[in-house]
Amino acid sequence: MPIEFSLTKKQLEMREGIRGLAKNVIRPQALSWDRAGGIPEEFLRNMARLATSMGSNAMRSGVGDETEEEKKEAETKRGPSGSNLFGVLASEELAWGDGSLLLGLPGPGLGGPPVRSSGTAEQKKRFFGVFQDLDDSPLKWGAYGLTEPNAGSDVSGIRTSCRKDGRHWVLNGRKCYITNGARASWTVIFATIDPALGRAGHRAFVVEKGTPGFSVGRIEEKMGLRASETAELVLEDCRVSEDNLLGGEEKYVSKEGFMTAMKTFDNTRPLVAAMACGIGRGAYEYACDFARHNYMLARPVPRYAAIIERLAKVGRSLEASRSLVWRAAWMADNGLSNAKEASMSKAMAGQAAIKACIEAIEICGAEGSIARDHQLLEKWFRDIKVYDIFEGTGAIQRIVISKRLISDLKSF
Amino acid sequence: MISFAPTEDQKLMVESVAAFAKNTLRPKIREFEKERGISEAVRKTAHELGLGLVALPEAVGGAGLGMMTAALLEEEVSWGEPSAGFAFGGPGAFGFAVLELGTTEQAKAALEPFTASGGHSCFGAVAWGEAKPNKDRAGFTTTATKSEAGWTLDGAKAYVVNADRAEHFVVFAQVDAAAGWRGLGAFLVDRSANGLKVLARETTLGLDAVSFGGIELAGVVVPDSARLLGGPDFNAAMVRFFARNALVVAARGVGLSRAAFDVTREYVDGRKAFGKPIGHFQSVAFTIADRAMDVDAGRGLVWRAASAWDVYDAGDRNAKDEKECLLRSAHAVAFVHEAAMRCGDDGVQLHGGAGFMRDFPVEKLMRDAKQIGLCGMTAEHADQLAGAVAIGAVIDPGLVLPTPETQNAFV
Repeated sequence: MPIEFSLTKKQLEMREGIRGLAKNVIRPQALSWDRAGGIPEEFLRNMARLATSMGSNAMRSGVGDETEEEKKEAETKRGPSGSNLFGVLASEELAWGDGSLLLGLPGPGLGGPPVRSSGTAEQKKRFFGVFQDLDDSPLKWGAYGLTEPNAGSDVSGIRTSCRKDGRHWVLNGRKCYITNGARASWTVIFATIDPALGRAGHRAFVVEKGTPGFSVGRIEEKMGLRASETAELVLEDCRVSEDNLLGGEEKYVSKEGFMTAMKTFDNTRPLVAAMACGIGRGAYEYACDFARHNYMLARPVPRYAAIIERLAKVGRSLEASRSLVWRAAWMADNGLSNAKEASMSKAMAGQAAIKACIEAIEICGAEGSIARDHQLLEKWFRDIKVYDIFEGTGAIQRIVISKRLISDLKSF
Repeated sequence: MISFAPTEDQKLMVESVAAFAKNTLRPKIREFEKERGISEAVRKTAHELGLGLVALPEAVGGAGLGMMTAALLEEEVSWGEPSAGFAFGGPGAFGFAVLELGTTEQAKAALEPFTASGGHSCFGAVAWGEAKPNKDRAGFTTTATKSEAGWTLDGAKAYVVNADRAEHFVVFAQVDAAAGWRGLGAFLVDRSANGLKVLARETTLGLDAVSFGGIELAGVVVPDSARLLGGPDFNAAMVRFFARNALVVAARGVGLSRAAFDVTREYVDGRKAFGKPIGHFQSVAFTIADRAMDVDAGRGLVWRAASAWDVYDAGDRNAKDEKECLLRSAHAVAFVHEAAMRCGDDGVQLHGGAGFMRDFPVEKLMRDAKQIGLCGMTAEHADQLAGAVAIGAVIDPGLVLPTPETQNAFV
């Protein structure tokens, strides 16, 4: 396969399908979801069904991280195009429609990859089993509970404790900024047997909703992505069966417990970067249209040339980011390790998209800050900032990248 | 299908050119700089490797390997010596000018001298720029006047790459004074033409092995057959020539960026301060990470554009594919010009005082980066071009091409 950038027939069909949906169905509702602080369940159910029919199994078994059989089944639906490329192409289009939607889709979400990569066969069956039925039962979500009030980027600093007590583990601590945390059927909770042990002391548990001592704290009020649920989770003498220790005791003989947490991100960072590209592209296209209708004919050339230059800078930064996103996804599809490239895509796309949203507002002037049904610049401006924060801040991405470029750099 | 894997053939070519760049070019960069050129033996090897004719189609005597292969090889060459791609001998910008502006017959005839065995010493050049804007009207001061014998060219051209080495020129001149930047014409002119005078070579900030200069034309007469009409739309062909040529320069920019990145990464690995390698300090490491992103993203954009050109060339050359080529090339050119400068600048900065010394190659790379950003098309022009395509505006050559009215570039 030579170097090329054309999409396959199935990819094109899928993209056109999602593009139409994003334009005609998703985007017209985006502002009302933002104001209501959520997306109606029936809409989410339909979206989940649609995604599944297109060959995505993210609603059932994790993000871009499937077994060989599942891969084969999905491939017959979406063509042999690779699940990661499929994922980033779809993510960009969906986020173009609305940045919260993808985060709110039912399924295991970020909780999927650690269960997939570290769970025992019994655990995978039990925890992914809850997502099988999209038609009749209430919608279900999984979640990923790593961040704490005093440990965000520095994951090794988590203080949520776990202590073995007979056939149970007793968990105590608080988790914050957990996407879908309040509505999740289960959450992968990271805890430590002894903070002094560092990474070697970490354990991951699947904690089910309703477990005594496991409760939802507050639901956060956010600057943007307001239709996505972000919750605080509280563990107070929460007794979790030893059967819910992810991977079982033997998994934690080495430092793998911590690495489980990190593995999640190599696949999801390009997806998040692709979403940033989608939101940034929305703002860029809006500004291009605005320039076309307002400046092109009516303004003197110097003003127009300055606007053109700003648009071009935004356009090329987004395109540069997209090239990094596609490369990271392509590498994952081809079995190449891509931690560095995944972080590059996220680091560049987050900032490029933020810049795109800021520039678009400035180019449109006062008009750019007004919220109307089909005028979403101010919403995108609020939504996009977190794309340089979640799934690892820009600084964290640079740590991941530089460790893979500079010799013998273990930590700073 | 999206893929980032070169073909087996491309891999082999990249490997051999990379070895040439590492073993032959890189050790000689100061020699090339001092000699202000690439020595004949090295140019011969480059010619034998087929460099310089890679992207030109077989129909006009090129290797017909396409823009993608050219981009891959140009990056490798430039990694070894950023001047080399311009200074190896061969048609250079002249090749793309006759390809886009001439008929197949014209291009084939014009390129013949470059494919012959002495091709390593045969240079082409495009005489586009002029030192000063025309005070009386838009457009160039150099004119082409219709006469019985054909066309008479009068004026002076500046910022010409390889002016003093070239045997063959494409000269741009005003054929219709009233039409401003839309009234240009292009003509094949040989160095031996009566009335053509090559001006003294300039001394420049960087790319020392490249020759930058100008020519004067005093009543130079060329036959009608020397005029390159550019097919149905001369202005569109002219913009295509600029975009294609600038994209090749951008591929060189990627090689330069990677070179600056590589020497800097090595330096921060080895240089110790406060008891550890300086690369182990976060501000240094993050800068390295940012420049790595610049190199990779720049390459991604160049590949995307090169791929668009290969699609355009293989297809029916329709307007949609053409726009794709212009937009992608403009994105790549503007991004890479700026990224190369960041890589050069941060490279010197992370070397500290040592970076300022000529013992290390990085100061040269920083100078070369600024210079290469003024070759082909500037980032500012590329942005005007990309923006015009993006919003569907009419592409105005006076705005998107480097002219003395906007900002000159070496072509």
